[in-house]
Amino acid sequence: MKITKLGALQIITLLSAAGFSTAFADEPPNDVRLGLYSVFYHTSADDITGPYVPAGVNLKAENLETLYVGIVHHFPDNFALELALGYPPLAKIKGSGPATVGSVPYDGQVISGARWISPTLFLEYNFLPVTAPLRPFLGAGVNYTIFYDRNPTAAGNAASGGPTRISLTASVGPAVTGGLTYRISDRWALHASYSWAQVKTRFTGDTDGFERTSHISFAPQALVISGGFSF
Amino acid sequence: MFKLVKASVPALVVAALCACGGSSSQTGTTSTSTLHGTLAVDPPFRIASVNAATFGAQLGATASGAQLLELAGAPACGVDFYYITFWTIGGAGETTKSSGALMVPTGAAPACSGPRPIVEYAHATNPNKALNIADITDTSNTEGALIAAMFAAQGYIVVAPNYAGYDISTLGYHPFLNAVQQSGEMMDILAAARTALPNTLASATSDNGQLFITGYSEGGHVAMATLRAMQAAKMKVTAAAPMSGPYALEALGDIIFFGGVNLGSTEFSPLLANSYQHAYANIDSTTVPFFSSTYPNVETLLPSDTPIDTIFEEGLLPETALFDMTTPVVAGSAELTALLGVPPTPALPASQQTPIFDLGFGNPYLINNDARVAYAEDALADPDGAVPTPALGVPRAAVEPTFGLRRDFWLNDLRTAWAPESPTLLCGGIDDPTVYFQYNTEVMAAYWSSLPAGLVTVLDINATPSGAFAELQGAFQASEAALLAYYQTAAGGGLSPTAAEEAVIENYHVDVAPFCTAAARAFFSQF
Repeated sequence: MKITKLGALQIITLLSAAGFSTAFADEPPNDVRLGLYSVFYHTSADDITGPYVPAGVNLKAENLETLYVGIVHHFPDNFALELALGYPPLAKIKGSGPATVGSVPYDGQVISGARWISPTLFLEYNFLPVTAPLRPFLGAGVNYTIFYDRNPTAAGNAASGGPTRISLTASVGPAVTGGLTYRISDRWALHASYSWAQVKTRFTGDTDGFERTSHISFAPQALVISGGFSF
Repeated sequence: MFKLVKASVPALVVAALCACGGSSSQTGTTSTSTLHGTLAVDPPFRIASVNAATFGAQLGATASGAQLLELAGAPACGVDFYYITFWTIGGAGETTKSSGALMVPTGAAPACSGPRPIVEYAHATNPNKALNIADITDTSNTEGALIAAMFAAQGYIVVAPNYAGYDISTLGYHPFLNAVQQSGEMMDILAAARTALPNTLASATSDNGQLFITGYSEGGHVAMATLRAMQAAKMKVTAAAPMSGPYALEALGDIIFFGGVNLGSTEFSPLLANSYQHAYANIDSTTVPFFSSTYPNVETLLPSDTPIDTIFEEGLLPETALFDMTTPVVAGSAELTALLGVPPTPALPASQQTPIFDLGFGNPYLINNDARVAYAEDALADPDGAVPTPALGVPRAAVEPTFGLRRDFWLNDLRTAWAPESPTLLCGGIDDPTVYFQYNTEVMAAYWSSLPAGLVTVLDINATPSGAFAELQGAFQASEAALLAYYQTAAGGGLSPTAAEEAVIENYHVDVAPFCTAAARAFFSQF
């Protein structure tokens, strides 16, 4: 976890250092972007296994929206490095599978909430000259996701058999993005992008020492609409 | 916007730091105290929760479940099955953790929530170390299903230990038929369950203060010992119903060693030896080797994670041959030789004369003749009041026996100058080939014959139907007759009438259980 923290800070530091050392005359080298992050999950998970779990008990995540923050550093002409961040959203994990576990409602029930921090670092290629008002871009990078505030709901605890401690392992996976930049002025621009990332985690629910596990792939796809300020 | 960004970025960093700290929800609290009676994890884990309709449907899905429903009635309540762990004391005074069930009735009906009575149940002998009576999802847990259907689904809160030595227990042995340990464990799980109850997911159900004690076979002995212990501790017991238990343990031991070998004795013997060796250290110390060298390490064999049938198949334990088929001749004691060589008197059930009782003798055998003779010598010198010749009041031996195992039986025999102060039902079946009704239930009834009428009720489920339990007696006998007929059909194996009778007798002890349990519920419902 310490590595994670240092990693994020180091990235920000590197970006800042790069920005101040590679300034060029016709385009401010750095952007800060702010906008809306609409996340669509395409969850797939192994059935949960462990003591007293009937067959077919599974999980899925509910789509969500959150605040997008992006920090972008432009290299001369076409390349850019983007650190995409989102305000840690409260993701709702829902039960999927049998309508009931015993007689406890399960399918479709929100069984847990979890916040996560999911920074993604993209290396992007911007098409067309810097002066073009509309520039498409494509990028690829790496996503790192960690989860916290993992709190099961009353429905989740009921299905689990009591108060449950949930852990979700951190994920590192590839990410790709594509989008458009519309330059309004020298300093201001609008951006739209669509991204995909691989986010895989091992779910463990511990209820009084009884552990149930599953491997979950969230495969989030995100639509981002943002405004950016260059400096 | 900028202000937002400025606020958000630090927020992200703070959030990242929080993530590094690993905030998360909490599970149950583990007690730091190991004092006996302490609930180890609070709130307890709920294994399953079923409503009345679902429970009825699940039971009705199997033939045996459907029969149970017929006897117990359709569930009136849902049931939450909690698994509780608690601290207790082992047979040698060890502090140890044990586990068991807390079954809580649920539902909107008045009989299913709010203040409800507690039934504390002690289970029968089980060779399976992994036994968890709370695990209703385990289809082999028939005793758990029985008490859930009979009591919990009818509005009783049920508390039942798995016993030390089973499930998660690390004790390393089971304190089998150790009256002090097992009654103590019953009191400990009751205390733990009462702690747990308000914190369960079914907290709308609470303890109304009524306490009923019951149990079957080994659990019958445990139930009676628990009644005795609770009375001594000035705890209020509303009523009790020990069923088919070896209460007069010394008398039962004597009749077995004299030659009336009961079914299941080769399974009980290792459990007894291991239990009493830990508690009293007098099984291995005797100069007379107790177990045949054909079966080394038999003492620690049970309970086991290996199925009992596999244990028999692998030759680790004889299936039925408790004693040497060659009857010992005791030099200089014609009386003892005769005692060991003739059927015991008074005669065991008529069915005892069937060939299955001969299976108690063979070669290889489990217990050495020298040990058998030493036991019998002790019994002859210091006779039990019920065996071989009934004495007035049928007390246990007047003096503490000297032979190790017999002394242990004497210590755990429940004829110890006490009597129930709460209404008590003693239910069993006269033809029981495993725990003889005559040498246990009827001996206790005779021992307590001077008590006020109505305090102790004896029910022979096999007797001519009469009185309050006539319907159950009739149902049991009809069930046995149906089984006898079934075994003679092609589907039942096409057995001869004699073989069919043996098959019925082999299962008799188990077959009595649901009918006596139904009788216990009917008995408790009066209070």
